[in-house]
Amino acid sequence: MEPAYLLNLGRTPYLEAWELQRSLAAAVSQGAIPDTVVLLEHPPVVTLGRRTDKQEVHVPEDAEVDVVETDRGGKSTYHGPGQLVCYPILDLNRHGRDVKKYCRDLEEAVIQTLAPFELEATRIDGLTGVWLKGTPPTPPHALSGATPPPRKICSIGVHISRWVTTHGYALNVDLDPAPFTQWITACGLEDAAFTTMASELGRPLSVDEVRLHAATALEHVFQITFSELPAGEGAGLWEQPLHAELATRR
Amino acid sequence: MATGTAVDVVMPQMGVSVSEGTITKWLKQEGEAIEPDEALLEISTDKVDTEVPSPAGGVVQKIMAQEGETVPVGTKIAVIAPEGEAGEAPAEAPPEPATAEAAEEAEKASGAEGETPTEAEAEEAPPAPPQAEPESDGDGRREGKFVSPVVARIASEHGVDVSQVEGTGRGGRVTKKDILKFIESGAPARETAPAAPPEAPEAPAKPTEPARAAAPAGAGETVEPMSAMRKGIAEHMRRSLDTAAHVTTTFEVDLSKVVAIREGLKREYEQRHGVKLTYLAFIARATVDAIGKWPWMNAELRGDSIVVKNYVNLGVAVALEGGKGLIVPVIKNAEDLNLLGMARAIQDVADRARSKKLVPDDVQGGTFTITNPGGYGAIHGTPIISQPQVGILDVEAMVKRPVVIEDEAGKDAIAIRPMMNLCLAYDHRLVDGAYAAQFMRDVKTNLQSWDEAAY
Repeated sequence: MEPAYLLNLGRTPYLEAWELQRSLAAAVSQGAIPDTVVLLEHPPVVTLGRRTDKQEVHVPEDAEVDVVETDRGGKSTYHGPGQLVCYPILDLNRHGRDVKKYCRDLEEAVIQTLAPFELEATRIDGLTGVWLKGTPPTPPHALSGATPPPRKICSIGVHISRWVTTHGYALNVDLDPAPFTQWITACGLEDAAFTTMASELGRPLSVDEVRLHAATALEHVFQITFSELPAGEGAGLWEQPLHAELATRR
Repeated sequence: MATGTAVDVVMPQMGVSVSEGTITKWLKQEGEAIEPDEALLEISTDKVDTEVPSPAGGVVQKIMAQEGETVPVGTKIAVIAPEGEAGEAPAEAPPEPATAEAAEEAEKASGAEGETPTEAEAEEAPPAPPQAEPESDGDGRREGKFVSPVVARIASEHGVDVSQVEGTGRGGRVTKKDILKFIESGAPARETAPAAPPEAPEAPAKPTEPARAAAPAGAGETVEPMSAMRKGIAEHMRRSLDTAAHVTTTFEVDLSKVVAIREGLKREYEQRHGVKLTYLAFIARATVDAIGKWPWMNAELRGDSIVVKNYVNLGVAVALEGGKGLIVPVIKNAEDLNLLGMARAIQDVADRARSKKLVPDDVQGGTFTITNPGGYGAIHGTPIISQPQVGILDVEAMVKRPVVIEDEAGKDAIAIRPMMNLCLAYDHRLVDGAYAAQFMRDVKTNLQSWDEAAY
């Protein structure tokens, strides 16, 4: 088990978090800090991946949402409060230099995160992300009696530079999934259904209830042991006194 | 410094089961200048976008696959030409072969280059980003083949025509082994060339080290686990000592002239340019200049090849407070910088190191390192080289010392001079003592006879 840092942040603007990721990636890349995972929520934001088609984005003019073009893989997606966003900044030189394996590992971490909630999630070949199949315990599908289509609960998009990863996954904990279909054609999937842990469980759920399970699953899948960093100064990681302080931890 | 030849960029291998990649964005266009290791394009596999750094510096001569195109791993997708040669035709077509044999060879060479998958180096493990031909900095293509400096040297020593040697390396390249075998055999024994090189297996993932049990504390001891950063540094330092044949040589330098010049320029730099002029800037400038004359100080051993860089990416070690670790931001293309530029660049990387602004590019690709323990009063050190570099220069404290000088009348006298020790650790596998000493002599001369006009 390699040591790793965990940064639990609250609601963080997308661009601020992106800058933090890049800064952390620089440090991880040089081995100045170990693998570092950031868990946070974003205010409402639509992000466009490198392969986003213009037709995917149809945000209404009065919607209170930022639109940001990013450097991650995949197509457009939506982030908002109630979604657990996980940015693992990992040096894949330590985790098998294989982009496909990394995606499968991220999916595995999400599947293991959902397991304690008795949500049995799966992969779908060729559609990176994590999906729920079968009948949800609550309406509307339970009433109609028909077998529902697979529902996407987690999206994945990754950027790699010198085998160091940025971006990661976004797990829908408890939010209105309407923006995925109304504002954008998320992930370029025309007829996909999006779901949340809360709607699958039929009860409200906070992101904080999921964080610990998410961290444990990542530790297990990537064979790392977290020590948590103080979140307040996260973005100022490069100020040297703090950095030195971080280095003395553990 | 060595002038490069055109370097191919190929679709990198991004994983065991990844056989192709999609080009999502060219970050540079044809005709644009690019630095070594600068991101050239982005490729996409699955839901992962990856930056592909340029294997060499120069100009993007040719882009051979467009955005949106999906091509197999190993496909040539671009050519980087050394600066100043962008206009010339790409060195694809070998010169008219003189013999049928040569023609056959040349064909083999170009065929292999265009189509076979990249030969992943299993051990050294430069990851998927395309690697420059290790020998591309040397003599380059002759008769359609790459000839490494080592091979060229051996060939000239033994009066062998390299084109007569059957190459077993990638693209029919003549390796050191090939030429030695050829010389031993004493005859131009032609062997059948092997088929396309087999795809090298992915380097096995490093086995996870079993967690070491915490050492028990004895009486009067406190025990704390090593931080991850400490472990990283420990591993790198140990590996460097296990890799390089470290030798340290120390020169003492009289900085009288530098002190005087700095006094004269300090205010102007501060007021007109907002730049703090440090002694380190002078030393960095003098070092980079000397590297120009002693290029092996700026080289790398890659397998059996000596890879000389025609650019200097100068790492400047920045210590973290309390001795808790260090980070080494890199000043790219330091050979382009005059004293002002160097002072500005040092200030810039130091500032950005402190204000979270360092990005991966800022800490990668160093070719030579300067470290500065003299700030704390050290007068001698034996630094450890940052792999895969060949040298690291330790800058010691400037101390006023009595020294014996010759006065105008040619008589010995004792004077008070600002003296500084410069300690160079170098890798004796590549650099011999005389070479290192001459390099240091030039650094010293540059500093002692600082020519304001030249810098």
